[in-house]
Amino acid sequence: MTQNSVISPTVAGGDPTHGTGSVQIRGVVKRYGSSTAVAGIDLDVRSGEFLSLLGPSGCGKTTLLRMIGGFEEPDQGDILLAGSSVVGVPPNKRPINTVFQAYALFPHMTVAENVAYGLRQKRTPKAEVAARVSEALGLVQMSKFANRNPKLLSGGQQQRVALARAIVNRPKVLLLDEPMSALDRKLREEMQLELKQLQRQLGITFIFVTHDQAEAMSMSDRIVVMLDGQIQQVGTAEEIYTNPATSFVAGFIGKQNFIAGTLGADGSVETADGVLLAQAPGTGTVGSQVLAAVRAESIMVHSEKPEGAVNVVGGTVGVVSFLGDVIQYQITTGSGHELLARTAPSNGVLPTAGTPVWFSWQPQHVQVFPNPHPSAGA
Amino acid sequence: MSKFSRKDVGAAALSFPSWAYLVFFFIIPVGLVLWYSFGYKPDLFTAHSNSILSFDRYIEALDPTFLSTFINTLQIAGLGTLICLLIGIPFAYWMAVKVPVKWRGLLVALVLVPFWTNFLVRTLGWQIMLAPEGFVSDALQNLGVIGGPIEILYTRAAVQLGVVYNYLPLMILPLFVSLDRAGASLREASRDLGGNRWRTMFHITLPLAAPGIISGCLLVFIPLMGDYITASVLGGAQGNMVGQLVANQFNSAQNWALGSAMAVMLMVFILLTVAIVGAIYLIIRAILRFNRRVLIEEPAS
Repeated sequence: MTQNSVISPTVAGGDPTHGTGSVQIRGVVKRYGSSTAVAGIDLDVRSGEFLSLLGPSGCGKTTLLRMIGGFEEPDQGDILLAGSSVVGVPPNKRPINTVFQAYALFPHMTVAENVAYGLRQKRTPKAEVAARVSEALGLVQMSKFANRNPKLLSGGQQQRVALARAIVNRPKVLLLDEPMSALDRKLREEMQLELKQLQRQLGITFIFVTHDQAEAMSMSDRIVVMLDGQIQQVGTAEEIYTNPATSFVAGFIGKQNFIAGTLGADGSVETADGVLLAQAPGTGTVGSQVLAAVRAESIMVHSEKPEGAVNVVGGTVGVVSFLGDVIQYQITTGSGHELLARTAPSNGVLPTAGTPVWFSWQPQHVQVFPNPHPSAGA
Repeated sequence: MSKFSRKDVGAAALSFPSWAYLVFFFIIPVGLVLWYSFGYKPDLFTAHSNSILSFDRYIEALDPTFLSTFINTLQIAGLGTLICLLIGIPFAYWMAVKVPVKWRGLLVALVLVPFWTNFLVRTLGWQIMLAPEGFVSDALQNLGVIGGPIEILYTRAAVQLGVVYNYLPLMILPLFVSLDRAGASLREASRDLGGNRWRTMFHITLPLAAPGIISGCLLVFIPLMGDYITASVLGGAQGNMVGQLVANQFNSAQNWALGSAMAVMLMVFILLTVAIVGAIYLIIRAILRFNRRVLIEEPAS
């Protein structure tokens, strides 16, 4: 590996929580006037990990990212990079680079000049600038476009340039603010794979902001689910999918059905459609109002009432959609509750709308959460 | 076959208001001035005749008075444009970047407030402000800031002050628009990539505002070169501007031929000045681009 390599070999070793690319967020609060964008966040970002901040718009994820980048300062709390506080340090003095949502490429410079901008600010020798720009453009497969005007590139190409412009500086941490929101779906899926590969190759800490749960799950080592300026859950994609901490996380990841009911003994939930059984009883006290959550893909659809099964509910098929890899059924239960079920396509005939069906699910696929709005839908 | 298609005819008809306006209020008047400049003043009571055509009026116009007044005008206009630019850039930057969006409309309106009053009246206002026996002079003397009455009226400094006051909004508005359009994200990107405030200003903000800076300078410099009201009201003999000479030939001397020749020369000189400044700008830009370029070997395709 040459001296000029963008790929830094130093990042991998050392204590991940205090390594060169680690970020520690301690009790950070940010207010805009009377509204609180970030309401007390503690988070450890490990050196070299791909971390996603996931949440609906207005959850504070972009504000948190901008505070790490230095574009906003926290009202309370501290942000540490590699163990030392960066609060009050201007963005140009932080070893952190950002890929902006609208890319923010300089329109009066060529692609190569855009990528060279950060190196020129550090007064890097010209020969080294050329070599590193060339290497960074090669990494994102944009070498051919070095002398083009960025305004004349497609969205995907502009994004690659923005990525090259950031990684050429060998940042300790790379911040990505919904960089794929302007791309079409196919391109987005390709870029997700490439971005993940690039992150592994470079070993840089990536902090990726998105509102798209599929995007977060496809790339991240860990996902931070945020709501109303607070962290709901931190974990791997699998942890968040299988063990959501709150009904919000459960609803945000995947297609989730919520059935309101009253918690009974031994994990049973009494609902309008009968008693449901859950394996994990949740934390609520017996008699409290709860939401039982079942994923659409955990529901099995039967044309006749299955023998000896638990959690069997009868209903009527509404809209049936063939989605390619799955078939989605909209079902109305006997009590009028609407559920979504997704099953693998079988060779059998699809039930048509209006047909009475039976559907069931295993107790281990039921999660029970306290009902945040107890009066609604019970 | 006709040279013009029906589409061309339709486009010409639709754009009739704009081209008719240009023809009647720009091309014909300028053509007339050009035509008159080749004529002469036949007698005391006739303003102009074109029965004999010559370049004599140009030779007559190029006398030392005209040239020294022109140099004087060029200095006032150049310095005035520069001062407007130096005041305008920070002010427009503040308006476009620092001020909350909800106050911007109000600020733009406030910048335009002087235009609610007639140009002559505004300038006359400065005569009152700057008068040695005026209230400003009295107040400053009473406060002990100055020893005697202010002696600025009817000097070149008064003209300079007057033109900066009169033309500043024409500089601020295009600067504001271009700085506003450049957007915060590019400045943030520059800061993110290690550029400090000053380097961000000189490498990103000002280059992106270049169209606004150019149009602001032209909007101030060109009318300022032809301005004669400010100089007449606030300047004495030292504050003479070439626009006054042209106006004098048309008004008091009633010599339209000489006035036209002076006007044509003024236009040519303004165009030359703008062309020279434009060339300097292009050279500076080329040098900056040359410095910024990144030489990387072409990838094997």
